Amino acid sequence: MKIAVWGEELTAWVTAGALAATGNDVNFVSHSQIKDPITLMGSSIRNEPGLRDLVVNEFEHKRMRFVQDRTALGIQTHILSMNPSQFDDAHDIVSNIASKHDGPLLVINQSHFGVGATDKLQSLLNKRNKQVVAYFAENISEGEALDRFRNPKSLILGCDVPEATLTIESLFRPFSRRVENRFVMSPKEAEFTKLSIIGMLALRIGYINELANLGELLGVDIDVIRQGMGADPRIGRHHLAPGCGFGGNTFPQTLSSLAQLLSQTTESTLMQTVLLENEKQKELPFRKLWQHYACDLHDRKIAIWGASFKPGSASLDAAPSLKVIDAIVAQQAEVRVHDPEANENVQHLYHNSPYVKTITGKYDALKNVDALLVLTEWPEYWSPDFEIMLKQMKTPLIIDGRNIFNRKQIESLGFTYYSIGR
Amino acid sequence: MALTDKKYWKNLRQHAVKTGNFHLSDLFDDEAKRFNDFSLRHGNLLLDYSKQRVTHKTTELLCGLARECDLSAWIEKLYSGDAINNSENRAALHTALRLPEGSELTLDGTNIVDGIHDTLLRVQHIVERVHAGQWRGYSGMPVNTIVNIGVGGSDLGPFMASKALADMRRPEARGLKIFFVSSMDGSQIADRLETFNPATTLFIISSKSFTTIDTLSNANTALQWLRQASGASDEVLYRRHFIGISADSQRMGEWGIPSNSRLELWDWIGGRYSMWSAIGLPIALEIGMDGFRAMLEGAHSMDLHFRETPFEKNLPVMLALVSIWNVNFLNIRAHAILPYDGRLSHLPAYLEQLEMESNGKSVSRNGDEIDYNTCPILWGEIGPNAQHAFYQLLHQGTESVMCDFVVTARRYHDSGNPELQQQHTLTLANCLAQSRILALGDRAIDDDVTAPFFKHYRGNQPSTTILLDELTPYSFGQLIALYEHKVFVQSVIWNINPFDQWGVELGKQMATMLIDPLSGENSQSEFDSSTQGLLQHILKQQRTRS
Repeated sequence: MKIAVWGEELTAWVTAGALAATGNDVNFVSHSQIKDPITLMGSSIRNEPGLRDLVVNEFEHKRMRFVQDRTALGIQTHILSMNPSQFDDAHDIVSNIASKHDGPLLVINQSHFGVGATDKLQSLLNKRNKQVVAYFAENISEGEALDRFRNPKSLILGCDVPEATLTIESLFRPFSRRVENRFVMSPKEAEFTKLSIIGMLALRIGYINELANLGELLGVDIDVIRQGMGADPRIGRHHLAPGCGFGGNTFPQTLSSLAQLLSQTTESTLMQTVLLENEKQKELPFRKLWQHYACDLHDRKIAIWGASFKPGSASLDAAPSLKVIDAIVAQQAEVRVHDPEANENVQHLYHNSPYVKTITGKYDALKNVDALLVLTEWPEYWSPDFEIMLKQMKTPLIIDGRNIFNRKQIESLGFTYYSIGR
Repeated sequence: MALTDKKYWKNLRQHAVKTGNFHLSDLFDDEAKRFNDFSLRHGNLLLDYSKQRVTHKTTELLCGLARECDLSAWIEKLYSGDAINNSENRAALHTALRLPEGSELTLDGTNIVDGIHDTLLRVQHIVERVHAGQWRGYSGMPVNTIVNIGVGGSDLGPFMASKALADMRRPEARGLKIFFVSSMDGSQIADRLETFNPATTLFIISSKSFTTIDTLSNANTALQWLRQASGASDEVLYRRHFIGISADSQRMGEWGIPSNSRLELWDWIGGRYSMWSAIGLPIALEIGMDGFRAMLEGAHSMDLHFRETPFEKNLPVMLALVSIWNVNFLNIRAHAILPYDGRLSHLPAYLEQLEMESNGKSVSRNGDEIDYNTCPILWGEIGPNAQHAFYQLLHQGTESVMCDFVVTARRYHDSGNPELQQQHTLTLANCLAQSRILALGDRAIDDDVTAPFFKHYRGNQPSTTILLDELTPYSFGQLIALYEHKVFVQSVIWNINPFDQWGVELGKQMATMLIDPLSGENSQSEFDSSTQGLLQHILKQQRTRS
């Protein structure tokens, strides 16, 4: 099938690559002068596991190519994988598509523009002439985007035109054969479902963080608590790991649109509180450091392991590390950052600050430091050589924002150790 | 020569005998261009004193009096740092606080402008840190509540200005709550502390001497509250939850504030002239440093105008002289301040201090008892609210009262809110209506039906209208500097020192003497029978309760 893909998000690249690999003729719309897909992706997308090779391969086999607007508008099937903030652009694109076609059209929107956005786009097209806008709830997440796209656990489609539903299902069949849960509903319901899922996940994370903070004050170990909770089948174990807050690009953006929708329509502050508390949670490692050093960090050296908002990604979008770095730097203390993927992005963001240094080796980052803060649970941090760490650090103080270390072990080695809720 | 012996004073007396009974409505009938002749403009301010009971002859004589009193020389002394506060042997250099960076003004061999701008930069660092959410309390949470503890000049100026300019709040200051606590009895602070989070509250302790008992009592209450709530060491609390602003660094240190949380004030700044200094920190926290600097620039533009403009065209000079005419020649002893803009709600209280503490004196600079009136009684309220309160007295009472109407031409024009725009129009209409009726009385409305006596409006109450193009930090700076200089001009004519306040000292001393007897302890002091009676009754009541 000949498809035009609009958008520059991770979802756009993953969708385009995966659909090209299953034999579609994918036209990736780009206005950029850059004609090399890998350069165009940018570092945070490029480092997504498997994606780089996939895209290079599809471009080589000419199943994927860059096209300009003009060419793309002539195509009958479109996928919109755009940033939540780009609704106006999507509106223009669909208007332009409409002006080029009298006959059937299919626009699959998988951007989080909010509830009702797909219907608004549909109103620009002539439904009687089989011009349909449908909503497809993607469920990829950074760091495992390609795998999640190719092996979805469920499929939620918002489409109320049976022919269009068939077309979309056949387009995604290579990935959905083993899917047990397949739901077709109205676009508005599908958008709402997607929003509700994201809200639910955030609530779980927010809740376990609250419990961890409380548990700490009451002297209970949150690991024990969450195991007990997770054993209850009504609750389950997923998304119950406390930590120093969540970040990312579309996840927080979608949440804040849900929070806004709730507060505007029902005056509910539930999601707003979750977001607000999450912002506070991001600074928790800083607060532990601050209190440890009696509210004075002047001239101290602090190492940070992990800057990206999650392992497997180089993205710093809304990452807790940014809040922690800003807070430390504001106290005129030096920060030595190590991240397997995100060092370049950190350097770019803080190139003006003499207080922020990026270090290539994780042990080098510890040289002469007054503390280590672990902010992203990259696999390579889980089992480090503690002897080297002890030798490198001026003060053996670890603040573990992801609870990756074993308290007993680490304290027996002579470290002072703080974690979240333990 | 005594003021009353001066040539122009005598001329003004004679002139008052001839013209003092003129009715404003006649003056307006006689002179079609009265507004043109009796209004002045500088920068973003328009001063309309055409509704004052003056003629061309009056202003000519008043300017003559100002010259006879050496006003120009006094203005130079003010600006150049002469010790014109003679009872305390100090300069009064609030104008220096407004000098642009790089200017020079030498006092005792140092260029004080450098120190002023160093302090401004320190204020800026604090403001930026708080706005960035990087002023951290004992728990590591950013502070979001600022409590200014101060009284008098350390309270009224910043409080009034913060209210006036709250519209221009910086986006970075969103979420920042700023409170002012001044009352000695602790009722303000006690109510407030209940609602604050100690981990995120920062106290600004402002006291020029750092001995003001009102302020230090409130500061101690705040410290105790933090101690109980935090479990943090005093050292941490002083460092992260207090900023001190004072001319006495050592006393700040003794109280506990570490050196890098102390902001400097100088003894050549009077408390009621100090909101342009570090004392203005709460203002800067509200409107940002750009706004604060714009306020200083506005005041500086008024400083230049005051120093360089001939008296006849000089806003502060004319504002003062017209008031001298009212007080000393028309025998008007009350002055109402009537802002027609809710943002200026605290301007009356501020001007009460500025004018009455400065010029409420009855001894000349040479120590002689004086035989003419000085500062009138000032009071005021938001105009439209006062219309429902004391305007009755203005219109139909027996007292002559001079009024200052303060109003802005533009407001809400870019708000896109037609209802609010309409409210502004309504306010302007009321402002113009009131000053017109106060001046003209019944004759403001052509109505040939004879009204009953109780509907009679006598009119002839003089007023000045100060019209701001728009309320901005810049125009606000101009407005306040206008009043400061007005007060100074009056003090020169009256030959009094406007920069001391000895009248407030004896009360503090007496209060100290009453602490012991009120605590039930024996005291050597003897009191009059009224005080004695009250003391006994209080002690009796306290014993019954316990």
